[in-house]
Amino acid sequence: MGAPVHNLATTRMDSSSKQDSSAQRRHKRHRLSNVFFKYYFLFSILALCFVLGLVFIFIGKTALLLFGQISPADFFLSFNWTPEEDAFGAAAFIVNTLSLTALTLLIAVPISVGMAVLNAEIAPKWMTSFIRPILDLLVGIPSIVYGYLGLTVLLPFLRRVSGESLGDGLLAAALVLALMVLPTITRISDDAIVAVPRKYRDAAYALGSTRLQVISRVVLPAASRGVVSAVILGMTRAVGETMAVVMVIGNTPQLAKSLFSPTSVLTSNIVMQISNVEYDSTWNYALHMMAFLLLLISFVLILVIRILGRKRRDQA
Amino acid sequence: MKVFKKFTVTALTAVIAVTASFAGAAAAADSLKGKITVNGSTALLPLTLQAAKEFQKLHPKVKIAASGKGSVTGPQAVKKGIADIGACDWDASMDVPGFKAFEGQVANKVAVIPFATIVNKNVGVDNLTTEQLKGIYSGKITNWKEVGGSDADIVVITRSFGSGTRVNYQAKALSGGDIVKKEKNYKETGSSGDMKTAVGTTPNAIGYIDLVYVTGGDIKAVKYNGVTASTDNVINGSYKIWAYGYYMTKGQPTGATKEFISYVQSKKFQQGSLKKLKFIPISAMK
Repeated sequence: MGAPVHNLATTRMDSSSKQDSSAQRRHKRHRLSNVFFKYYFLFSILALCFVLGLVFIFIGKTALLLFGQISPADFFLSFNWTPEEDAFGAAAFIVNTLSLTALTLLIAVPISVGMAVLNAEIAPKWMTSFIRPILDLLVGIPSIVYGYLGLTVLLPFLRRVSGESLGDGLLAAALVLALMVLPTITRISDDAIVAVPRKYRDAAYALGSTRLQVISRVVLPAASRGVVSAVILGMTRAVGETMAVVMVIGNTPQLAKSLFSPTSVLTSNIVMQISNVEYDSTWNYALHMMAFLLLLISFVLILVIRILGRKRRDQA
Repeated sequence: MKVFKKFTVTALTAVIAVTASFAGAAAAADSLKGKITVNGSTALLPLTLQAAKEFQKLHPKVKIAASGKGSVTGPQAVKKGIADIGACDWDASMDVPGFKAFEGQVANKVAVIPFATIVNKNVGVDNLTTEQLKGIYSGKITNWKEVGGSDADIVVITRSFGSGTRVNYQAKALSGGDIVKKEKNYKETGSSGDMKTAVGTTPNAIGYIDLVYVTGGDIKAVKYNGVTASTDNVINGSYKIWAYGYYMTKGQPTGATKEFISYVQSKKFQQGSLKKLKFIPISAMK
């Protein structure tokens, strides 16, 4: 609190006669603005928590009405989703959502981290200054565009390659999602790797390490927290992404037995059906429960990865 | 500074005066005002949008907001009070398979909607009978050669449950037959636009859509029991896959809503823009 007063006093030497009183006024003003901002930020955070709480409460409230009508075991353990015949088993969607997310990350993370390393450590400057803006552009493309490209370009390609007659399914969705999350994960990992202090690398090279050793043993572990948050961001987008997925996954409520069987995940099933069901029906409650589940799944996944990330850092 | 201030004041006064006189003139010319929200069927959306454009030209003080999602959204939005008009491809004041009647709503007939069976352009078949369609959609017929085409798996594309197009297609074209739910070559789409893209880009695909949407070279409409899907054949009674489109309202419509519905039902609109959009005037079906 003292420092700004001192600064102001020295920079305003010309008005030395009024210095004391003006410095005091400034001091007061600064304190006031500090207090104001403190409460402003506090208010912002509380407002955010409030909205988050409302989302949880309102979706949860409608969702829990479901268990007045069918048993939780029916919902979570049955693979039979035929709402027009009163069968509300969501297990297939849950499994599909998890496997789609896993498959997406399996495709996207190695490529993204590789690209990030290339960008930050290996590529010459002209190349990075070319790649980075392109990645930034890709982040901004609306997901429906990716979905449409998936539908019109990727699916025909997959059909030709696999010999399937439809091509829709987990693989198509995972490829589209991987393309979508790739720039996000790459850019954030890139920033994390660039932020690793130069002296770490110098020390490792001084010990006689090769470039591969420096990257894999020093730079990547040091940047791991940033890379992990990049993966989290990518994953949450993959879990919750709807518009692109709905166009290439086939929307058939069944468990995906192969990479090419038309199937459905939580998001796509909700968006396909929510507009066609009556408000006060078991079906509607079941869809809300699926939304609530989606919320919980992404929440839990984030927690798990945060905890894993922290453990790894403690070990290092 | 003073000059600038003076100028601003003058400009502001001028703007206010002009606005006021315009508003006054408009009010004098047309006393009808209000806001109409239309929600529901995507099949009827092109018609609603066209009608709204023309109606707003006649009555500039009426604001019409129209959106399409799915047929059942229409009467539901009306029930909840979100919309004044619920566009629906079936008479939602009566029970239909899968949906209960909406109590206290009035169905206002606005158009006749023909539907067509469409296939990807690579499919050689150009006529399907009711029995063949029933077989294809129930999963009993899975290869095009069983209905006179080449040896290739049939890819069945359908709309999600609750779509008005699906309700009508199932009732009329499949005469109440089943639509498969869980099969290998089976895909659901969320809207008429998605249906068109999906059938157009998937070889050996079959689907169904409003006749209005049958344009472009990637899809073609097939004959139903030997009859071409056309507005003429609907009117002369030989083509059976069609349904009335309805504007559902809470009780009898009033005010601007009533005027708008009568405009859509008017001879001028029915014989003009509605026909141009490939819908059929309701009067043609008597």
